[in-house]
Amino acid sequence: MKNEIQKFDLVILGRGAAAFSAAIKASEMSDGGMTIAMVGTGPLGGTCVNVGCVPSKYLLEASHAVFNPSHPRMLGIFETSVKHDFSEVMNGLRSYVAHARDAKYAQVIESYSNVKLFNGLGKFVDRKTVMIVGQDGKESATVLGSNILIATGSSPTAPPIEGLSDAGFLTSDTIWNLEDLPGSFAIIGGGAIGLEIGQALLHFGSKVTIIEALDSLLPQTEPEIGYALRAGLEKEGMKFYLRARVSRVSKSANGKSIHIITHNGEEIVEADELIVATGRKANTEFLNLAAAGVDTDPRGLVLTANTMKTSAPGIYSAGDCVSKKLFLETLAAREGVVAVSNMFGEDMKIDYDSATWAVFTNPQVAGVGMTENEFSKKNGSCSCRVFSLENLTKASIIGETEGIIKITVDPKDNRIVGMHIMAPNATDIITEGAYAVKNRYTIDDVIATSHIFPSFSEGIKLASQSFIRDMSKMACCVE
Amino acid sequence: MDKKNVKLRIYGMTCDDCVATVTRGLKEQDGVLDVKVSLKEGVGDVMLDGEKVKPEDLLKNRVFSKPSHYKAIITDQ
Repeated sequence: MKNEIQKFDLVILGRGAAAFSAAIKASEMSDGGMTIAMVGTGPLGGTCVNVGCVPSKYLLEASHAVFNPSHPRMLGIFETSVKHDFSEVMNGLRSYVAHARDAKYAQVIESYSNVKLFNGLGKFVDRKTVMIVGQDGKESATVLGSNILIATGSSPTAPPIEGLSDAGFLTSDTIWNLEDLPGSFAIIGGGAIGLEIGQALLHFGSKVTIIEALDSLLPQTEPEIGYALRAGLEKEGMKFYLRARVSRVSKSANGKSIHIITHNGEEIVEADELIVATGRKANTEFLNLAAAGVDTDPRGLVLTANTMKTSAPGIYSAGDCVSKKLFLETLAAREGVVAVSNMFGEDMKIDYDSATWAVFTNPQVAGVGMTENEFSKKNGSCSCRVFSLENLTKASIIGETEGIIKITVDPKDNRIVGMHIMAPNATDIITEGAYAVKNRYTIDDVIATSHIFPSFSEGIKLASQSFIRDMSKMACCVE
Repeated sequence: MDKKNVKLRIYGMTCDDCVATVTRGLKEQDGVLDVKVSLKEGVGDVMLDGEKVKPEDLLKNRVFSKPSHYKAIITDQ
């Protein structure tokens, strides 16, 4: 028997951060009147809470708690070995993820009686109609939406490397099921995911080797920061192969052999376990976007205007399935709000220029706006300063001086156009950079603003002051 | 004249006075030719002159703008 078509004011394809953000905003704007269908598979909350930000930060924090006491930074503090059980840590991690998913997603959506959840994959029949296909591959329902939001997210991909599938590998989706800690890991991919997971495993005691195709780490940030982070991780024992191409993977007696081509010729990295962290692909293959007239880029990412409108009237997109430069949970949620606001006739636009991003290694890396190179390429010239944490009192006190604050300004008016930070708490203090870039503050605005002494935030003030005076001739607290 | 029929889903209406307020607000918009609003269905049927007003402009009508608590989306155009 054919399913009757169910009509909704809004059909949301996906159930992650962008989807939840959109559903809640739409409910608020309509005072709970908007009927919403939320269609998707997998655990509620999508990547971030289940296999992304939440478990990775849990694992990193636990690993630092093990590592830091055995690496004291202050005189008179002695090395202490922390007793721990990796298996129990992973149980705690999975338990916390389940709690966060329940508290922040399952219980939340239950409180919105106007939202109906559908389990299954959505497939466009036409611009307004979506067929929902269940796990058995059969149509389980058909929904019609006055507006439709595509927020299906992305999934890890693996490059076509000979022997990779047969040898087996973990990804950022599957590593959270680990019970025991392998003695060594090879990680293909030196981006944020590879570095965060790599440092966590290193801090728990594994040997970690990163294999990266590019010649530097974190190309989205300033080269000084990529270089400093690599130096810091190497000091902790992480091994790097940069400009390395993986030619083949094979099983070995105790694990896996990763054959790589470097400037030295072919080398073999032996590891107990292999993680592939080379990138993600948009979950758009199943959607039949052509039937709805929704255009994608060559990678399958949905093309949108800065209003989050797609090429098809009444269809919007938000989150990691959107064609853009930064793929972040925070941006996904904002895009969901922008999309819904525009459904109600507002003229809201997404602001990518002041979006902050972060890598939660220790020290952390965070950035906002343009790098020196990006601004120079666009405008022909720029002005920038690199401030070392060696000159920051708070960093010296706690012995964590391996860091940099780099600020780029428009030389025409000294307005801050980019800020990139490597510091123990870069993810917290980068918000000052976001305000500066978003509101077009000048370095004088930052200098004239009170900053706590001694603190890491003071480093941003000092980095701004370094535009106007020689820091080596400056006493503490000079305004 | 480019006559167009636009259907709206309207949120926040609770009584006949609301219907009257929304109807009046839409009718006062330049290019709007006729308006029928249903409280029961929570919908509006708007006939407009496409040369004078775009369907999306209806959502910017003062009756759907703050501090008004009425909101609308386009369901069909």
